[in-house]
Amino acid sequence: MTMQALVQVLASGLLTGLIYGLVAVGLSLIFGLMDVVNFAHGEFLMLAMYATFGLVVVSGLDPIVLMPLVAALMFVLGGTVYLGVVRFAMRAKANQGMVQIFATFGLAILLQGVAQYLFTPDYRSLQVSWLGGKTLDLGGVYLPWPQVFGALVSLAAFGGLFLLMTRTDFGRALEATREDQGAVALVGIDRNRIFALGWGLGAALIGLAGAVLTVFYYIHPGVGGAFALIAYVTVALGGFGSVFGALAAGLIVGLVEAATTLVLPPSLKSVGVYALYLLVVLVRPQGLFGRL
Amino acid sequence: MLRRREILAAGALALAGLRSQRATAADEVVVGVLYALSGASAQNGVDARRAFETALDVINESHDLDLPAAKGAGLEGLGGAKIRLVIADHQGDPQKGRAEAERLITQDKVIAIVGAYQSSVSATVSAVCERYGVPFVCADSSSPSLSRRNLKYFFRPAANDEMFSAAMFDFMDGLRKQGKMIDSVSLFYEDTIYGIDSSNVQRKLANERGYKIAADVKYKSNSPSLTAEVQALKSAGADVLLPTCYTNDAILLTKTMGELGYKPKAIIAQAAGFSEKSVYDAVGDKLQGLISRASFSLDLAAKRPSVGIVNAMYRKRADRDLNDNTSRQFTAMLVLADALNRAGSTDGAKLRAALAATDIPGTRTIMPWKKVIFDAGGQNPDATPVLIQYVGTTFVTVFPESAAVAPAIWPMNA
Repeated sequence: MTMQALVQVLASGLLTGLIYGLVAVGLSLIFGLMDVVNFAHGEFLMLAMYATFGLVVVSGLDPIVLMPLVAALMFVLGGTVYLGVVRFAMRAKANQGMVQIFATFGLAILLQGVAQYLFTPDYRSLQVSWLGGKTLDLGGVYLPWPQVFGALVSLAAFGGLFLLMTRTDFGRALEATREDQGAVALVGIDRNRIFALGWGLGAALIGLAGAVLTVFYYIHPGVGGAFALIAYVTVALGGFGSVFGALAAGLIVGLVEAATTLVLPPSLKSVGVYALYLLVVLVRPQGLFGRL
Repeated sequence: MLRRREILAAGALALAGLRSQRATAADEVVVGVLYALSGASAQNGVDARRAFETALDVINESHDLDLPAAKGAGLEGLGGAKIRLVIADHQGDPQKGRAEAERLITQDKVIAIVGAYQSSVSATVSAVCERYGVPFVCADSSSPSLSRRNLKYFFRPAANDEMFSAAMFDFMDGLRKQGKMIDSVSLFYEDTIYGIDSSNVQRKLANERGYKIAADVKYKSNSPSLTAEVQALKSAGADVLLPTCYTNDAILLTKTMGELGYKPKAIIAQAAGFSEKSVYDAVGDKLQGLISRASFSLDLAAKRPSVGIVNAMYRKRADRDLNDNTSRQFTAMLVLADALNRAGSTDGAKLRAALAATDIPGTRTIMPWKKVIFDAGGQNPDATPVLIQYVGTTFVTVFPESAAVAPAIWPMNA
């Protein structure tokens, strides 16, 4: 393999990794806030992709323009899912963790089924968009614009999230709620409201990822599966609940995956990622940046 | 007390009698159909269902078509009995396929199963059928190993990937003779039995016929990204790319090739994903000149009216033309109906014997085949494969000469 090909594989791994981070951050945020693993995370991504696709078809606008609208719609969806499902699952007196798992898992199956019924299992794909199919050629190293844009959105989202968490009252309330759910009630913070907003925010972030992916990936009721698995290992590797661990872990997963293909057959490319995760479990079971 | 018991017993007997009467009045023949109706290849299941509904229309109603079981309503050999389908979902998972096949046979009492698209699923389903002595008509799985297991109840009317791949290499040999330079091929295949079997055959043929294998890439199906894989193909830069992929990966492969600026000089695909309308809807502009192996060619309608009529019947249901997969599904059901007519029975052993004795001339099918017969392994050796090329928005048959309507455009990207 030539130097150029090597740089290509690593650059692609970097871009993919940033997008993995964006896909995973919503999951991590929700987990960190309330210790609930959202098993419908992949289906949220799928719905965001269909929403983007549908809005593009109806409005004729570019996915980039529609991105804030998709995020807003997903925010509403996330909040609704918390208020309509998760809130009740959390009231279970015993085995609360299991109830939450099965509630979100059931939601995942339901959403997939509904999507297949409404949208058919045909594969969809955006034909034309501003960035679709355009590539930045850096001396023979090709960086597809949709992925470059996705990586930038990812960095911007993490930057925005950092500001939100550190500079706003809402961010402080979020942080306080995740520190101690009981104590925040004493200072007049409505736990339910924070949780609903947290779910909304997590879903809005996956909305951004969905809009980004729509430009260069196919859309299908089962599309969430491929990314959800990556998102789970990213969150576990970065540290459960560590939002910025998700960014670092996304990058690591992307790079390790790419580097694995240099030494192993591509069909085994996820082996490197899981081997690394197991290694991390041995030394730091809470994940690289976990605080448990 | 005794009297009451007698009455009850008599009643039970009478009921049992009624029941058995109903079962023997063969007004309905139940056939199991096993496809992925959810998951990544659900669309194949949806399209398959419409292909089978079209076949049932032909069999159960009277049509003036020169096809087996078309004339007269229902199955003549079974007193006009009609076929009813029980459709089950295997989700593309071999283990679910095994469980569903058991259920179809033991609970729904199906007399035969038709399926199952994914070769990995057909492998488990056919093993269950063998155990119960219920014929499995393998409509559209193409792994050569399926017909090499000495199963007595396995029947595949269509070609396998050995036959398909041989046609690809015959075609390339022909181009070489015309002075076209084809030295190397790249193999790109998914990691289940379909991809692996296909690559084994292609690797063997390439070595035997003197084509250098520039890249040999096995990839993980349903991957979030194929960048590194495509990079390997691009670095190798073979004269011909030979992909074996299902629909989603076919789309992602094509998109990624576009993004990485890789334009293969030529592509000859092992159908599957590259037969699907959704691939051409998504990335057809990047696939101009792609050649795919096929069991079916719509061009044949010009010579054989039944092809056009059946396609129109299917189109009305599915809003798309018959393709490599759906044409094979349609034909498999007709082959089964033909055997049922000759067997005059739904008994597993008798139906198996009738299937084994099948001899339908190609002209009485919608396929470009010589005929439908079965060898000892249940493979039809006379299912002549064709190669079709994507030009504009349609496929044109380019190989073999007997079926070709135009010479191939070669290479696709000069």
